[in-house]
Amino acid sequence: MKFNRWRAAILASLALCAFQPGVGLAAEPGVTDTEITIGLFGPMSGQLASFGFDPVQAAKMWYEEVNKKGGINGRKIKVLIEDDKCSPTEVVSVVKKYATVDNTFIVHGGSCTAAAVAAQEFVTREKIPMVMLNAAGDGAVIPPTRYVFGAFGGTQRAVGATIMEFAIKELKGKKIAYIAHDDDFGNSNWATAKAVAERMGAQVVAVERISPRITDVTAPMLKVRAANPDVIVSTAYPAQTVLIAQKYAEFGMTKTPLVVAVQGVPVPSVFAKNVDNDAALVNFYYGSPLNDLTDGPKQQKWISLYKQYYPDRTPGAFMTYGLPSAMAITRALEKAGRDLTREKFITALETVDFDSEVLAGPIAFSATRRDGHRASVFVKFDGKTHKLMPGVYSWNGKDGM
Amino acid sequence: MFDLVLQSVASGVVTGCVYALIALSMVIVYKSTDVINFAGGEIVMVGGYLGLLGLSYLKLPYTLVFLFGAIITFTLGALFDRVVLTKVLGRAVPGQSIMVAMVIATVGLSYVLKGTVRLFPYAEDVRRLPPFIAGDPVFMGAIVLQRQDIAIVAISTLAMLALWAFFSRTMTGKALRATSQNARAAALIGIPVRHMRMAVWGIASALAAVAGILLASKLAMTPDMGVIVILAFAAAAIGGFSSLPGCIVGGIILGVMQNLVGLFLSSRAISVAPFLVIMLILTLRPQGLFGGPVVDKKV
Repeated sequence: MKFNRWRAAILASLALCAFQPGVGLAAEPGVTDTEITIGLFGPMSGQLASFGFDPVQAAKMWYEEVNKKGGINGRKIKVLIEDDKCSPTEVVSVVKKYATVDNTFIVHGGSCTAAAVAAQEFVTREKIPMVMLNAAGDGAVIPPTRYVFGAFGGTQRAVGATIMEFAIKELKGKKIAYIAHDDDFGNSNWATAKAVAERMGAQVVAVERISPRITDVTAPMLKVRAANPDVIVSTAYPAQTVLIAQKYAEFGMTKTPLVVAVQGVPVPSVFAKNVDNDAALVNFYYGSPLNDLTDGPKQQKWISLYKQYYPDRTPGAFMTYGLPSAMAITRALEKAGRDLTREKFITALETVDFDSEVLAGPIAFSATRRDGHRASVFVKFDGKTHKLMPGVYSWNGKDGM
Repeated sequence: MFDLVLQSVASGVVTGCVYALIALSMVIVYKSTDVINFAGGEIVMVGGYLGLLGLSYLKLPYTLVFLFGAIITFTLGALFDRVVLTKVLGRAVPGQSIMVAMVIATVGLSYVLKGTVRLFPYAEDVRRLPPFIAGDPVFMGAIVLQRQDIAIVAISTLAMLALWAFFSRTMTGKALRATSQNARAAALIGIPVRHMRMAVWGIASALAAVAGILLASKLAMTPDMGVIVILAFAAAAIGGFSSLPGCIVGGIILGVMQNLVGLFLSSRAISVAPFLVIMLILTLRPQGLFGGPVVDKKV
């Protein structure tokens, strides 16, 4: 009899718990009756903080805006923030902490590809949705895996395809010289650039694959000049892009347009100062995934909002890059409904397709697509003024795959 | 094609002069203390950022910027020897090599310097110093060179000549050479060996800073630019770790070779070439092109 009383008491307690709102046995981690907890992270300090500090703050701002409007399906969003320093080991630690200590519903972050890729194995094993903040993340989203979504600024495959299409369509290039690094970034953008050139009937007359640590680009630039291209395309990193632009001017190639990818010119004014040669920028273009110039009218809306939230901070060039991923998350949460689970969230995110009013093209995912954004615009830059070139260029998701 | 080769050689000589300066700073330390300075690249990087500080924030003229960078890094190098290396040496256990501990101390210094520079906000973006001689490029037949490049060769040559004059024409220089050849014998004739070691570290660091300022006006500058030290190792390996003229020639050979490899083989091979050279030289002629036979130092 005594045993049965104890058993009845335990069963009754469990039943009470199960019917308690938000405390049920099957409750999803990070979700209560009133809150959804999101673990946000990015490089907030260190050398790469400029890629992450403002985007993280912008994402937080978006969540606060959503909360102001009543939240999502009756719940407010609670945001935790951690600094990953863009280090793969730090990212894994942060994601593990969010998953095991803070029990967040999803993790949202990553501004550097290698760091984002490092977390992929853990989130896949633990079945935690991870939405990257602004990392290109080719390796994390192609081929697609169930729990990782990203590439809101566009993958390197999108960069390669769009820059080549711009060189051929807008600049009428028939003979293209292509400069890329000899690493994963370079492999990804060259694969699609080559495919687009083949599809559009342009000839790639020189391909120079250079080390990210190269100190003298004389030889590759001499070979580019010898190939006599009518457009030069570079997807190099900032330091090497400066060297390329200097040699381009030094070797008298400035009648040939030079188009560089977004990663080569993170801050155009600093780039112009580093090149320190007006001739190098006479025929110069850079790519961007945004829908306007960084301080253009379409971006001003977000810059003004940011200044309302953080009046003491002047936003850096990457601030708005933090918004689209947060927008995609809130849309998916809304679609997933009140009865929220991680699996329902993923299914909902797979159906997201919207214009962020931040980026050049739509953000879309599907059951077989995890790279959210594939478009670029191009800007003519002479060292002082920026002119947005006509057209939005998009990777079709097939070239180079 | 001949034009391309000429241009590659000319540009290679310019870059090679900077490699040679960095290699010199390493070889001086190695010859005098038997320590391979793995922080050499980071001292070059610090020199570049001191140049930026001097030019952009203190508004110093370029001539003073070289002096400013050299004085600060001289002090840094001398202090490192006095505060760290001398202590490490003093704790040596008889019969055990102290070299590993000293080399690790230089690796530690490299991380400290890199981390310290990263603390400053202007290290977040890629930077470059303005050219110290501006103006249109100079055309010499098929070769085109920036005035800046010519100035780099001139300043590097001047620095090398000054170093040669110091070591061969001054008493302090001769005392340093004596210390490097046989420290105990030098001490017996009254040379203050400890001060000499500090001076060597100071001079080598000042030389690295000059190289850093030259480099920062030619290449873009980041806290990671210290990796260039591997090219200095290659230059020293080619010329010989025990030969000062050897590492100058080694630096120039390396600069030219990188460009010719890029021109005739592939741009991808440019960064591999120095490592291949280090392995080849160490296998075929470990003492380098100008180094003497490899012998143990006798006391």
